[in-house]
Amino acid sequence: MDQASIIIIMVVIVALPVVMTPVLMYICRISDRLRNGLAILTAAATFILTLLLYPFIRDGGVVQQSLFEILPNLEISIHLDILSFSLAALASFIWLLCTIYSIDYMAKEHACSRYYPVLIFTLGACQGIFFAGDLFSLFVFFELMSIIAYILIIHEQTEEALKAGYKYLVMTIIGGLALFFGIIIVFEIGGTVSLGVGVIIGEPSLLALIAFICFLIGFGMKAGMFPLHVWLPDAHPVAPSPASALLSGVMLKTGAYGLIRVVFHVYSVDLLRSSGWNNILAILAVITILLGSAVALTQTDIKRRLAYSSISQLGYVLLGLSILNNNALTGAVFHIFSHAFMKSALFLAAGAIIWKTGIRNINDMKGLGRLMPVTMGSFSLAALAMIGIPPLNGFLSKWTLALGALDAGMPGYVMVLLISSLLNALYYLPIIIPAFFESPEGEEINDHGDEGSHEVLFKIKEATPLMLSAIVILALCTIFFGLTPNNIIFSLSRLTALFLLGGGSF
Amino acid sequence: METVSRLTENYFYLVAIILFVIGTHTMLTHSNMIKKVIAMNIMDSSVFLLFVAIGYTHGAQAPIIRDGADIVYANPLPGALIVTGIVVAVSVTAYALSIIVKIQRSYGTIDCDEICELRSDD
Amino acid sequence: MESAGHQPVLIIVTLLISAFLSPLLYRWRKFLSGMVLLAALTGAFVTALTLLGQVARSGELSYYLGNWPPPWGIELVIDPLRVYMLLVVTGVSLWIFVYALRDLEHELHHDVIGWYYSLYALLVASMSAMTLTNDLFNLFVLMEICAISACAIITIKDKRECLEAGFKYLIMSAMGTGCFLLGVAMIYMVTGYLNFSFIQTGLAAALSEYPLNIFTAAALFIVAFGTKAALFPLHVWLPDAHASAPSPSSAMLSGLVIKIYAFALFMIFYRVFPRSLLDAIPLNEIILWLGAMGVMFGSIYAMLQTDLKKMLAYSSIGQIAFIFMGIGLDQPLALTGGLYHIMVHAFTKSMLFMSAGAIIYSTGVRRISDLAGIGRVLPIPLLAFTIGSASMIGLPGTGGLISKWYLALGALETGRIFFLLVILASSLLNAIYYMPIVINAFMSGDEFKEKVKTVPPSMQATLVVGILLVVISGIFSRQIIVLFEQALTSLY
Repeated sequence: MDQASIIIIMVVIVALPVVMTPVLMYICRISDRLRNGLAILTAAATFILTLLLYPFIRDGGVVQQSLFEILPNLEISIHLDILSFSLAALASFIWLLCTIYSIDYMAKEHACSRYYPVLIFTLGACQGIFFAGDLFSLFVFFELMSIIAYILIIHEQTEEALKAGYKYLVMTIIGGLALFFGIIIVFEIGGTVSLGVGVIIGEPSLLALIAFICFLIGFGMKAGMFPLHVWLPDAHPVAPSPASALLSGVMLKTGAYGLIRVVFHVYSVDLLRSSGWNNILAILAVITILLGSAVALTQTDIKRRLAYSSISQLGYVLLGLSILNNNALTGAVFHIFSHAFMKSALFLAAGAIIWKTGIRNINDMKGLGRLMPVTMGSFSLAALAMIGIPPLNGFLSKWTLALGALDAGMPGYVMVLLISSLLNALYYLPIIIPAFFESPEGEEINDHGDEGSHEVLFKIKEATPLMLSAIVILALCTIFFGLTPNNIIFSLSRLTALFLLGGGSF
Repeated sequence: METVSRLTENYFYLVAIILFVIGTHTMLTHSNMIKKVIAMNIMDSSVFLLFVAIGYTHGAQAPIIRDGADIVYANPLPGALIVTGIVVAVSVTAYALSIIVKIQRSYGTIDCDEICELRSDD
Repeated sequence: MESAGHQPVLIIVTLLISAFLSPLLYRWRKFLSGMVLLAALTGAFVTALTLLGQVARSGELSYYLGNWPPPWGIELVIDPLRVYMLLVVTGVSLWIFVYALRDLEHELHHDVIGWYYSLYALLVASMSAMTLTNDLFNLFVLMEICAISACAIITIKDKRECLEAGFKYLIMSAMGTGCFLLGVAMIYMVTGYLNFSFIQTGLAAALSEYPLNIFTAAALFIVAFGTKAALFPLHVWLPDAHASAPSPSSAMLSGLVIKIYAFALFMIFYRVFPRSLLDAIPLNEIILWLGAMGVMFGSIYAMLQTDLKKMLAYSSIGQIAFIFMGIGLDQPLALTGGLYHIMVHAFTKSMLFMSAGAIIYSTGVRRISDLAGIGRVLPIPLLAFTIGSASMIGLPGTGGLISKWYLALGALETGRIFFLLVILASSLLNAIYYMPIVINAFMSGDEFKEKVKTVPPSMQATLVVGILLVVISGIFSRQIIVLFEQALTSLY
């Protein structure tokens, strides 16, 4: 494929969901089925279009193209490299599954005419973030996605949701202002914010440090980095489950993506290493990992526990990024994928449980494995992957991260990873084990009025096939991409790390 | 000594500034609206006075050109400007007074402090 | 310098004539009267566009009123910045007038609407002339016309709080013009000129000889324009005046009238004062600190308000201070930001006041806490409010971001990060008081209780135009910024 058609495809990938948003809003009035179909079709088309870029990427191709000049030297531009492709493909894949899952899940909910357009619009904004060719475009799409995602978070419109949403919005604005500050400093120092020029800031200075901290605040806020994670445990649980899956599975990663871009395209790796600024990120990442895992232990609401777990898992990615060597970066990028599969599977499974039984409290989940074997099975698979049991993908990412830490001569980080895995085990196993090995409590089963006989105990109450298919596909991904390091995603991650560390070539 | 003589030479500056300060002070501190409007006029007049005084030259005549005569004449421009200024000031005064009449009708008072109290009761 | 055609004076004369015709026609045919003014405003806007074309072709132009050359006659100068301001004034007033045509029927007694048209035309005429004039005394006269007509479009609504607010405004602005005239006298005394360009050379020569006169004049000008443009701490008259006025008047006052004085101060600083004066005393520094305080206090006061229009009025104090900060930073990039903010805020705040007006028109609700759920019954006004809020916060895609970007760049360029933090803090504060209104309006679980009257299509259309203007000013700003950069580098 030549450059021109690549650029057209990229623009279509971003524009298609955005254009479909008003169409969906209009179609909502005509037919619900048409709307659902169209939403799935849009997500699927985005995914397929993204995959079309693969042959170009595999050969190490890079596209940088300015589209429209907003201000002198400040433009909306697009950029494609292996990292953009990896994340865009991941995002559209998870989006597709979540949209499919939504069809049945949201059927009972109110205001679907608002939900689907927003869901599809955020997909477009998210792809825009990954394809942005300069920090300013990145900022524009980042803010667009963050603010529109607010509507997903407060979908239920309960008091609690509105409160969590307000916290989210204020944090988003603070993060946005920090990004604005950082970008303007970069613009002032380098005269450009494009990602295509390699390194913008080569000399350490006070302003450069301020900008780095601003980027940490802006993107770290989105990635749930300590101490800016406060919005996350409130916002993720209150959203509808497919939206939670997207928030945790994909949207958090935009923060990590932004930081990767800042580390490799704004500052030079040498600058960060010699000035030791990457240690700021490392320290925050370690605190994030330990704190997220520890607090998750104390939560009894399943979605809140998953949300805290997300905080700690994103800490792995940030830690891998801060080590700045090949293995660690491979692990970080691979963990972005792993976590997306695992956490989306977990949130969707939890959503199915809540949808079918209304149980949110972990202590009430005894015996659920017998009622919903497929859902609970997928949940367990994803949870085991979280803990890092081989041969699941969580193990592979942690292993690679640990290798990277050892390469850098930092055995302490390996300890952190081990402690966190232990904590993961401590908070996931008490969900899984009682679910399969204890009997359900009596009153939970009697609500169909079947006299509480013993047969009813084992009556399967699974969610609908559409929902299950989304959950199962994600759960299978955790095995499929974890069995051996010879899978496509791991090699993509490895190439990405080589690409970034090599300054734009393999 | 020099300062004093400069002041007496330019006494109209001093008068204008004193009037200006009286006007501003009254306008900002008195609560009676009519007094505010009067103060506004004092303030404007002080500026007009100063402006006209600038144009005056000692021993000069009105600027009328006669054949061949080489005379010193006063600058006519400030006077012309101030006529405009007076017209403007009159219209502002008229407008201000008409508002006061309306305020008196709806509040029953023209005292700013009392109006504030009335409004806080609303 | 080439001389222009008669367009500059045509704009002013057309508006003045329609100011005379409108109330007469109103007695005969109500509809026609509005149309005459609409035509005059459209004519003014189109003429301003042709001036833009002329300036783009041949650079700065001048027009001698009555063909008297300066320094005796009054000169109108048409340069890129003035034409920009002229376009903002005529364009925004045309846009607001379309809204006013329907809204006034609701807000005013029908007898006085003809007079309102007359005052509106006078206001626009005086503001257009203020952008173009190159003569200090002419500026004084126009300021008085502007002040009277601006007060009158408040007091024309025969309610007691309007009368009181209008009187307060009148007294404060009389003080402002008094100070201005005294300053003009001081300058005339030492230079003997009233024409901007002649004064600039005259002052440069006289600065060493009569420094006290000139410093006093500079101080008086800051007080004069500070009062008129509601620069902190001279803003006390603004909240009452802007909040109690009829909504189209509020939109005009907050959107244009305070900006025109900020623009006049900019002109005085860079076209009347020589560079040596700005270097001799820290005038810009004073403006900068007052601006920074205005930005913060305006936002903080706005947070405390319960009345929707009062909140918008206090927010104007914060926003006008951005323009002053641009002047205060005394740097081309910051000035670009400040001047661009004139347009952005004219669009945004006018739209916000118009959407507040539409809410009041259709439901009568003014209290912020009563707006829960209103977004579902009045989608377009509240959408306009949302976009306006986004621009106030400075979210990407709106004009607010562009002006903040340039102000922030200017602050960085002069090495004063503190003021960048002020800008960011104000964005955050704006977010804190605008967002809850939007959230409450759309997302609140409660249903809106009051009775709702439908908003007329022409009002809805103006709001939609407003949304487009705010978004366009955030995306297609490059041409204007380039124009500023060229025009501003000539000042240094």
